[in-house]
Amino acid sequence: MSEKTLITVKDLSVSFEGSPAVKNISFTLSAGRVLALVGESGSGKSVTARSLLGLSGGTVNASELSICGQDALGFNDRAWQKIRGNSISMILQDALMALDPLRPVGREIADGLKEHSSLSRSERKQRVHEVLESVRMPDPELRAKQRSTELSGGMRQRALIAQALAGNPQVVIADEATTALDSQLTALVLSQLRELKDQGRGVLMISHDLAQVAHLADDIAVMRQGEIVEAGPAAQILNHPQHGYTRKLLRAVPSGVPRFTSLSATSSPLPAAPVTDLPTAPPALSATGLSKSFGKQMAVDAVSFELPQGKTLGIVGESGSGKTTTARMVLGLQKPDSGTVDLLGERFTPTTEPERRKLREQMGAIYQNPLGSFDPRYSVGQLLADALSRGKTKRVESYRQEVTQLLEQVELSSVLFSRSPRELSGGQRQRLAIARALAPKPSVLVLDEPVSALDVSIQATVLDLLDRIQLETGTSYLFISHDLSVIEHMSDSVAVIHQGKIIEHGDTAIIFAAPQQEYTQKLLSAMPRLR
Amino acid sequence: MSRTAKILSVLVVALWLLMAVAPSLLAPSDPLAINPTQAFQKPGLAHFFGTDESGRDIYTRVIHGAGDSLSIGLAATALGTGLAIVLGTVAALSPRWLDEIILRVLEALYAIPSLLMALLIIAFTGPGVGPAIVAVGLSTAPGYARLVRSQIRSLKNSEMLEAATVLGRGTWLKVKNHLVPNALKPLLALVTLGIGQAVIWAAALSFLGLGTPPPAPEWGAMLSAGRTYLHLAWWMSLFPGLAIVAVAVSATVIGRALGGKVKSL
Repeated sequence: MSEKTLITVKDLSVSFEGSPAVKNISFTLSAGRVLALVGESGSGKSVTARSLLGLSGGTVNASELSICGQDALGFNDRAWQKIRGNSISMILQDALMALDPLRPVGREIADGLKEHSSLSRSERKQRVHEVLESVRMPDPELRAKQRSTELSGGMRQRALIAQALAGNPQVVIADEATTALDSQLTALVLSQLRELKDQGRGVLMISHDLAQVAHLADDIAVMRQGEIVEAGPAAQILNHPQHGYTRKLLRAVPSGVPRFTSLSATSSPLPAAPVTDLPTAPPALSATGLSKSFGKQMAVDAVSFELPQGKTLGIVGESGSGKTTTARMVLGLQKPDSGTVDLLGERFTPTTEPERRKLREQMGAIYQNPLGSFDPRYSVGQLLADALSRGKTKRVESYRQEVTQLLEQVELSSVLFSRSPRELSGGQRQRLAIARALAPKPSVLVLDEPVSALDVSIQATVLDLLDRIQLETGTSYLFISHDLSVIEHMSDSVAVIHQGKIIEHGDTAIIFAAPQQEYTQKLLSAMPRLR
Repeated sequence: MSRTAKILSVLVVALWLLMAVAPSLLAPSDPLAINPTQAFQKPGLAHFFGTDESGRDIYTRVIHGAGDSLSIGLAATALGTGLAIVLGTVAALSPRWLDEIILRVLEALYAIPSLLMALLIIAFTGPGVGPAIVAVGLSTAPGYARLVRSQIRSLKNSEMLEAATVLGRGTWLKVKNHLVPNALKPLLALVTLGIGQAVIWAAALSFLGLGTPPPAPEWGAMLSAGRTYLHLAWWMSLFPGLAIVAVAVSATVIGRALGGKVKSL
């Protein structure tokens, strides 16, 4: 069958107040195909997607911009409004934000129909049920009456997709629709997108992660700084990348890459892996029977693990599995109902905070959002001076040398010295957080989703940094993440946590090669892989 | 906000402070000296702002009135914020039931318009400078207290303090280095705004005859005295009125500028 061309873009440029965000890009999207636009944040991929909806907010220039057979260059607001939701629609990133928490999802979905069709009230209701059924929403009649906050994460994602599909659009744009979702929800969204493709719609996927799009995209266009640096059939891009930047993005994907293998070309080469096996030394960290319940809900149920010195233990689980509660108990921020935590053979929990404080220097923490953990009044240098002086001073002068050393250790330029952390990029902020955690020379770092908010290419450099620090200092990592590929790359051993229980644990290679539990198998099969 | 407005405001406030601290420097004569032969003189070289019904020099009286307005404005705001910091901190750090009680009391106080509450307090204490300070101070406290409470509450559970705990900081260091400076920063801007407001309220109370008793040179009281002769001696009301407006607006402009700086942080 001849594929109908749905979108033709030729020489599209978008600029904001004179500064260009997208420069002369061209692509086409045909019915029944998936085109992936891949690039880092700021590469112009989202701006491109938005300009297809007339929502870019900048100055748009193109020699051709045709959407479903219509010339969109001369569109006014009304004309855009007419095709939005009807011919072309977008699946938004965050279901919790995108759906009004106070209205039933059925009504949210029907809203678009009201604007675009002459359907009667009961016909609209009928259509809402149809789309909910088409996204395999369980119990569509009941769910349509519920608010988004009453739905589970998976149902919310389905509702969000249903919302985009209500007007039966020929083109669906998915802008980072899987970012920040755990692996099962990601798998769900990807399978939904595949169905859209099979229904003969054109799908435009926007992502920073090549692994996410690898199995779904027919064509891939790699964007950098507003330009398409390489485009072509997916197999060609993934297997025979021509452009250096594409190779960099491919290399940054951590799944299947052995431990201590550099993911980024930019960072300095890693030192050789040390042969430090100290069987007599006490474990860096050990937890025994940690339990915590909130009301009747068992958040963490008898979790035990051991982290040998100089090693990394990965804890992997979906959102709500009890990972973060475990991390908080390990860090002594939350009192467990029962169970103990020992740090280097000494009791860390349960004990009193003044007792614990002596050991605190031995355990640092890195969070998903480092900015929240910095005092907003402190500059980069002051934050580190404060950490080095144990809170006695934030005067940089007395610690200039040590601060510079720390910055060097995390590969941050000392130009940033007097900047506020708010002026740093996400990757720089995380490096700063790592530098601060390293200031007291800890034996253990607890890393709770340390790279989840970062682009894959930035993630690669931070993971490389963590590898290097571990090799240089012998720091042990408790690495908590929902991202299996990151866990696989970073961990010596893995514990899979599900509904508050560790259901499987052991050597990383063994677990990833031959998972015993059904749940682990399900998780692994949902994992997007390149290799 | 324009730079000129900010500079002008700082100048006005500086002048106000000078007037309050050393009034004789700017106006050497006695603000209470009467001279019936010179009554109702128009503004001119002899009397810059004219004279009142008893022949007192309005210029001298406006200058000398700054002291009262400043002391009432500052003392009342200090009283209000002091009370607010105590109440707000106690509410934020205490168990839920005590927090609820303090909150309900604050809300009840907040529901009464400040000036009305000031009137109520003066109804018990009788008029005077002291009661005016207490009245204005008490009526501003609930607003500040709620700000302090919400600041400390959100800071208490912030990742920032958790991070400090993980780094091994003791309670004292956490409070001193992070909790207090971050909680008080937005208060500082609000307090500057509040001083301008307090000056207006103090003047309003005196205008109603409930603050500084005549014949003391107080801007509100002078405004009130001038009201009777408005048709033949407009200057009696105009100049004290201008003084009130200039100080209140300047304090507001400075407060806004500080507030903008805090928000941009």
